[in-house]
Amino acid sequence: MAAGLALFVAFPIGRVLLEPGAGEWTRLLTTPRYLRLLGNTLGIAALSTVSAVALGFLFAYATARPDVPGRRLFRLVALLPLVSPPFVGGLAVILLFGRRGLVTHSLLGLRGDIYGWHGVWLVQTLAFFPIAYLALAGVLRRINPTLEHAARDLGARGFQVFRTVTLPLALPGLASAGLLVGIYTLSDFGNPMLVGGAFKVLATETYTQVTGWGDLKMAAALSAALLFPSLALFLVQRYWIERGSYATITGKGSFADPPPTPRPVRWALALGCGLVGSILAATYAVVFVGAFARTWGVDWRPTLVNFEYTVFRGPQLANSIRFAAMAALGGSLFAVVAAFLIRRTRVPGRGLLDFAAVLPAALPGTLTGVAYILAFNTPPLALTGTAAIVVAAMLVRTLPVGYRAAAAGLTQIAPAIEESAADLGALPLRILREVTLPLIRTAFTGALVFTFIRSMTTLSAVVFLISPGNVVASVSILALAEHGDWGQASAMATALMTAIFLALLIFRLATGGRLRLFEL
Amino acid sequence: MTAADTAHLRLVGIAKHFGATAAVAGVSLDVARGSLTTILGPSGCGKTTLLRLIAGFLEPDAGEIRIDGVPQQGLPPYRRTTATVFQEYALFPHLSVFDNVAYGLRLRRLPRPAVAERVRRVLGLMRLDGLEARLPRALSGGQQQRVALARSLVVEPEVLLMDEPLSNLDAKLRLRVRAEIREIQTRLGITTVYVTHDQEEALAISDTIAVMQAGRLRQVGSPRAIYEAPADPWVAAFVGEVNLLRATVVVGSAGRPALRLGALELPLPPGVAVAPDGAMVVALRPEAIRITAAGDARDGPIGEVLDATYLGTTVRYRVQVSGHPLTVDDPDPAGKALLSGPVRLGVDPARLRLWPATPELLRQLDESA
Repeated sequence: MAAGLALFVAFPIGRVLLEPGAGEWTRLLTTPRYLRLLGNTLGIAALSTVSAVALGFLFAYATARPDVPGRRLFRLVALLPLVSPPFVGGLAVILLFGRRGLVTHSLLGLRGDIYGWHGVWLVQTLAFFPIAYLALAGVLRRINPTLEHAARDLGARGFQVFRTVTLPLALPGLASAGLLVGIYTLSDFGNPMLVGGAFKVLATETYTQVTGWGDLKMAAALSAALLFPSLALFLVQRYWIERGSYATITGKGSFADPPPTPRPVRWALALGCGLVGSILAATYAVVFVGAFARTWGVDWRPTLVNFEYTVFRGPQLANSIRFAAMAALGGSLFAVVAAFLIRRTRVPGRGLLDFAAVLPAALPGTLTGVAYILAFNTPPLALTGTAAIVVAAMLVRTLPVGYRAAAAGLTQIAPAIEESAADLGALPLRILREVTLPLIRTAFTGALVFTFIRSMTTLSAVVFLISPGNVVASVSILALAEHGDWGQASAMATALMTAIFLALLIFRLATGGRLRLFEL
Repeated sequence: MTAADTAHLRLVGIAKHFGATAAVAGVSLDVARGSLTTILGPSGCGKTTLLRLIAGFLEPDAGEIRIDGVPQQGLPPYRRTTATVFQEYALFPHLSVFDNVAYGLRLRRLPRPAVAERVRRVLGLMRLDGLEARLPRALSGGQQQRVALARSLVVEPEVLLMDEPLSNLDAKLRLRVRAEIREIQTRLGITTVYVTHDQEEALAISDTIAVMQAGRLRQVGSPRAIYEAPADPWVAAFVGEVNLLRATVVVGSAGRPALRLGALELPLPPGVAVAPDGAMVVALRPEAIRITAAGDARDGPIGEVLDATYLGTTVRYRVQVSGHPLTVDDPDPAGKALLSGPVRLGVDPARLRLWPATPELLRQLDESA
């Protein structure tokens, strides 16, 4: 296991970091073009992170208050983007506000378009606010509701309760959510690629360097430049912020619910969430309609022609499912074994193993892509152009997700259960078969579905590694969109989402709804 | 002065429903100025709901709450002159001890020096000096309890509300903090409503106890009255240990009415209401029964010791008397061997409590047996 992590995580990173020479580093840090790129990347990441965290907080706060109308629906809405391809938003925005956009071109007759930083901002906000929501919902849920009652009892009214108690208590959570989302926005590739237009960031420029110029040294420098801020965010989030949380110490409260939310606030929250939810719903609807329209913006007659070549006859979707299934199987097995070793045994080096299993979350996809090209281009491991390299990239990219799901599944059953089984006279083999394995199976299923979905939708690393024989759906969507084939891109996105929802459905049926993914 | 004048807090006909269940079903209570009044009852009796109604966390469906004659209905908690000490203290985990205590004063827009002065004073009162900069999680349970009390006292509430404030402390600490709370409360003379399910705690700390069951008050009185003169068998059984027995009023050997309690015949205490058929229910505290070895006493019925438990200050016996087990305490067991076998029992008639045995009462009695 350690060897696997060394070969597929540590070694490629090392290759990337050592690839650029002094010349590349100098060029990167002195050329105005690259400096602007750096500024773009940090600027848009900061902007999108702030707005995504704000939206995430809105949803988390609204769904944490039992008297906000529609809170159950909003919870689902906020989780939807987590299981969709991240570029559905980008696609929808182009269809609505692009050069041939429904709103900009057909309705308003405008010449302009959304391409540029505002488009990226909008799309990233919609794509990544659910990550902030998940983190913040957990934090707000753990705040003892009695504290708000205590504040009111001592004289705090309306907004004062929020300002002096709720917000300060959520602050560590907000910081943590910001850092998490920051990692995603910094290294986001698909959205800037789709709607960035002339607005370039490090991730998209890395891609251009590889595909346009074949300059792997510069690409390595660019992706390495992305690694440092993203790794910094990761480390701060993991080792500093998590310590400062107040929420966990308050314990069980005597009040089950916070005080009633003032009526205007209640409706403002519902309205805000409803608005965002409508926009999200609109993006899905647009992509769906786009998939079945003959020519977007020109000929609205329904057709299946967009599905014809890419979805029905092309190998992309099948490839996606095949590769994702392989990556998910391998990754989940790895994740469960790692989680078991780390949580339930005293194997030396557990800390390091734990770190290595979550580290890929901090690695920008473009970096992984470039790293794999560099690391596996030459014998003994000449994997470039094979399906294996795509599967390996998917596996490593989704490992942290699977590992976390497996660890969560394992902690659902306390070690005391295994101990009490032993205490009741069960022999070790029997404990393994009747107690440990069933609980591992739950963890494994969770990890499997998580990693499968993530592998289906991952783009940034895989885009560097595919060869004509093994194109996957996510890469295909990007390529089609780049050629202006909106109909086919939408069809492929629709097919991909359908496959994911089918997987989720099968998962629910298979587990009888016992194990929940997020809260879906 | 009439009762209405001295009642600092007055509840009239308070009712509160949650769905179809009546959590509080018509409670009237006067709380005297400067007194500590305990609402005592089993869990689910509605005592915490009653406290929350007084604090304004809930609004009653019916009835009136007055503090100093001022109606409180419709006032949100932040407009009421009450302050609550919560069961789990609910200290703000992100604020230091000083800031926790200063919280209410700052909301009242007191000038900074006045805030500092009052916080310092109350922290001194609660013996919390030197802990100002600590966060709540760096305090012991007892200290957290005192900070919570300080935070409520510093805003100088008309009425202090305490919701099972000792339930999160271990047994030893509970006794000490209990004494502290009572000491501070009497020193400041602050009107206090105290909720607990612990009858011993209620007896120790209260001026007045209101015993609550199923949303209603069963008895309001001094701790002594509640314990020694319980209004009904339920109160007698809930507060302290008691033997509830059936008895019959008969014409005694001296031609006067007497009470037949199994093999025992006692003079009927004066002023007792007697059921037409003479059937009565008797409450008898374990310590009101004298127990001696059968050979030592001339009279009194003979029972058989079932078991004996040495508790340090007392020995608790279970004694079989004409088919019924009785709980009997020997309050002075020092140096004596535990009794076994046949024993003789004696009862002080003055310490009997008697009620006519209504069918309702008898049913309760059967259920509790």
